[in-house]
Amino acid sequence: MYKLMLCLRYLRTRYIALASIISVMLGVATMIVVNAVMSGFSHEMHKRLHGILSDIVMESHSLNGFYGWEEQISAVKKVAGDDIEEMTVTVHVPAMLSIKVRDQWVPRHVTLIGIDDQSYNKVSDFSQYLKHAENRQQVSFDLKEDGYEAEAGSPLRDAGWNHRRMKVAFERELAEEMRRFEILNQTGRMPTEHAPRRTPIGNEEDVAVDEQPSSVIPPFADDPDAPPLPGPKPRSLASGPGETGIGQVDPTRRGEDPFASRRGLPTRGTFDPAVHQATGIILGMGVGSVRQRDAEGQVKDYFMVLPGDDVRLTFPTAENPPKAVSETFTVVDFYESKMNEYDSGFAFVPISRLQSLRYMMHPELGNAISTIQIRLKPGANLNEVTNRLREHFPAETSPYRIQSWKDMQGPLLAAVEMEKTILNILLFLIIGVAGFGILATFYMIVVEKTKDIGILKSLGASGSGIMAIFLSYGLSLGIVGSGVGMVMGLLFVANINRIARVIEMITGREVFDPTIYYFREIPTIVEPVSIAWVVFGAMLIAVLASILPAIRAARLHPVEALRYE
Amino acid sequence: MSNATTKPTPTSTRGSRIAMPSAQAKPLVRKKILLQTKNLKKSYQKGPLQIPVLRGVDFQAREGEITSIIGQSGSGKSTLLHLLGTLDVPDSGEIHFGDLRTDNLSTRQRDYLRNNKFGLIFQFYHLLPELTALENVLTPAMISHGIWKYWRNRKQLRAKAVELLEMVGLGHRLTHRPREMSGGEMQRTAIARALISSPEVLLADEPTGNLDRKTGDEVLGIIKRLNQEQGLTIIMVTHDASIAQEGHSIVRLDEGLVERQGQTSERRG
Repeated sequence: MYKLMLCLRYLRTRYIALASIISVMLGVATMIVVNAVMSGFSHEMHKRLHGILSDIVMESHSLNGFYGWEEQISAVKKVAGDDIEEMTVTVHVPAMLSIKVRDQWVPRHVTLIGIDDQSYNKVSDFSQYLKHAENRQQVSFDLKEDGYEAEAGSPLRDAGWNHRRMKVAFERELAEEMRRFEILNQTGRMPTEHAPRRTPIGNEEDVAVDEQPSSVIPPFADDPDAPPLPGPKPRSLASGPGETGIGQVDPTRRGEDPFASRRGLPTRGTFDPAVHQATGIILGMGVGSVRQRDAEGQVKDYFMVLPGDDVRLTFPTAENPPKAVSETFTVVDFYESKMNEYDSGFAFVPISRLQSLRYMMHPELGNAISTIQIRLKPGANLNEVTNRLREHFPAETSPYRIQSWKDMQGPLLAAVEMEKTILNILLFLIIGVAGFGILATFYMIVVEKTKDIGILKSLGASGSGIMAIFLSYGLSLGIVGSGVGMVMGLLFVANINRIARVIEMITGREVFDPTIYYFREIPTIVEPVSIAWVVFGAMLIAVLASILPAIRAARLHPVEALRYE
Repeated sequence: MSNATTKPTPTSTRGSRIAMPSAQAKPLVRKKILLQTKNLKKSYQKGPLQIPVLRGVDFQAREGEITSIIGQSGSGKSTLLHLLGTLDVPDSGEIHFGDLRTDNLSTRQRDYLRNNKFGLIFQFYHLLPELTALENVLTPAMISHGIWKYWRNRKQLRAKAVELLEMVGLGHRLTHRPREMSGGEMQRTAIARALISSPEVLLADEPTGNLDRKTGDEVLGIIKRLNQEQGLTIIMVTHDASIAQEGHSIVRLDEGLVERQGQTSERRG
């Protein structure tokens, strides 16, 4: 009883102990905040790193890919079929993407990925990051009429077929105007007849398509550098732009593979570039746009290209030696995984188109692919399955190597993990410092209380009883310190974005720059287990630090303690 | 103890020669010996030097008597009291408390004796500064009772503590801290504390040494009253011969030896 009473009384009357409590408190609060932010950050990173990657990738050694992947897939299914949820194949190739911005071709480096739109979103979360709601349901390389989601005021909201028609109409108008100037230059006489305005400006697109189909001209029709359009030359081109020979638009044929007939696949019609898009391409947000601050300091995306615009891609064929091929694609959507590395590095096109362009179709061997992407069932052990596959398909004898998404992002993940570990060690040292503070304080208190200890012993208190006073004193310091620290830390985490704004206001420097991190808010995850460990650790340190002084107190000789002045 | 009464120790013989001349004239039924030491030796180590404090002390204190230990500073009287009170262990010799030999007891048993059988008061009161007078008085009870037992008996214990404080005249100062009290009040609180666990012996180390004459007399009055009314055995260390005369017998220590032991005039009178 006296232990409890004296412990509480000492806690109340020794203000020096407050310093120990504060140091424990600060240590605990810092650890909780840092852990929450690091966990949030690493979770967000994991999510984004994993975002458009499948769980396991069997990647071809060579850029040309490998044939016979159907057998490989069945072999993989035999080895790890129980753990595999879905598999798909892709073709990867480095490519140069050229975007026409204000009559200037801007080249960008991308990794072009040919995907099967039916199965690719089953192996990765790719579709979730798309900007169009329908594409999020089912990825499609068809240009949408409108409905691209973006913040208010973003030009992405007006993208789609409408944008495409407007742009083409504008280019048509401009070309017509140029033609008239040309005539003026050559003949010295301004042509009087003015080509009728064919493209209505407004919201009557459907009417325009149906009633005035000639108003839409193919992309790059006036561009002498543009590659020849595939398929039989449509009548509209043969008879020149502006003629009325262009057929009715069949919306169901948009985006149809023009090479279907060549590959012996059934085709329902002929590709009509005048009103159709070129093959669709899905670009990373960072490929087609630049994130910058405007004059008011607001972070905004500046688009170089929008869904509906055409881009040129140049990439190597799978021949030996490889040759460069160029092709026009129509941007149909953007994806934003918020992982800068992906958003500014990848572009997705239909796999069959890419295979045909790269001559990866063999009459006997079938199609070549460069990766087999595997999604595991929930709960499957990623490392275990990866290792099992590696065992069965050693890289030395297989045409591919097997990597999990964690392997592929290994250095980055390891860096984040290490950062977290080191921070934790450093912060725990802070609590350790607090522990030594407690030790020093306690020693002082024991020295100060020597006489009281003597008195208690003279009254029959045992050594262990005296020790218990100081141990429970240390424990209560630990409990109070870590308890208050925990509350403080959790409050800090809950309001971290508000605090960041206040710090921003005071220092004038952005704490968490969204142009760098792609996060608009600081991500935090509060892990109860790690909090429990921190609190427990802090209490343990407080108790450990009080052991030495407590032993000293317990060993004091009553007579000497009583004589102590 | 029977051997002590039948076969007087050399000390008592020597003492009787000086201090008990009239004892033979008026023989008394001496009470039985409650605390006694035999050839008690104790020395302190001070660096390389060994300073002998007690050099074979034979001491007796009888039940229900006030035994005063007097002597000059450094004569070893406080050390003797500490040894009697099991605060310290002797280098050699024996200490008997009733039938119990206490010099070779374990620490726990000695703690128990101090807590339950001995009441100790000191020259400098030795109250716990964080606690109120009442809490100070209750401290030995808190030590002897576990937390639940104390909680169950808290009302009785509190009532007893209040009663003791009222007995020493401090019923109005229950919630005062030691620093808010005078020396006399602190010493009276210490006496109340020593009595809370109903001890068999009250060991007082110069209880009036730090008090003025009047206050000292008050405190002494309480001690005497305790002896007279409750028959409490009291062993009191003092350097004041006049105070020593208030008790029943006096043991004079000189340089670690009992110079003489005998009954006081009061006893004789």
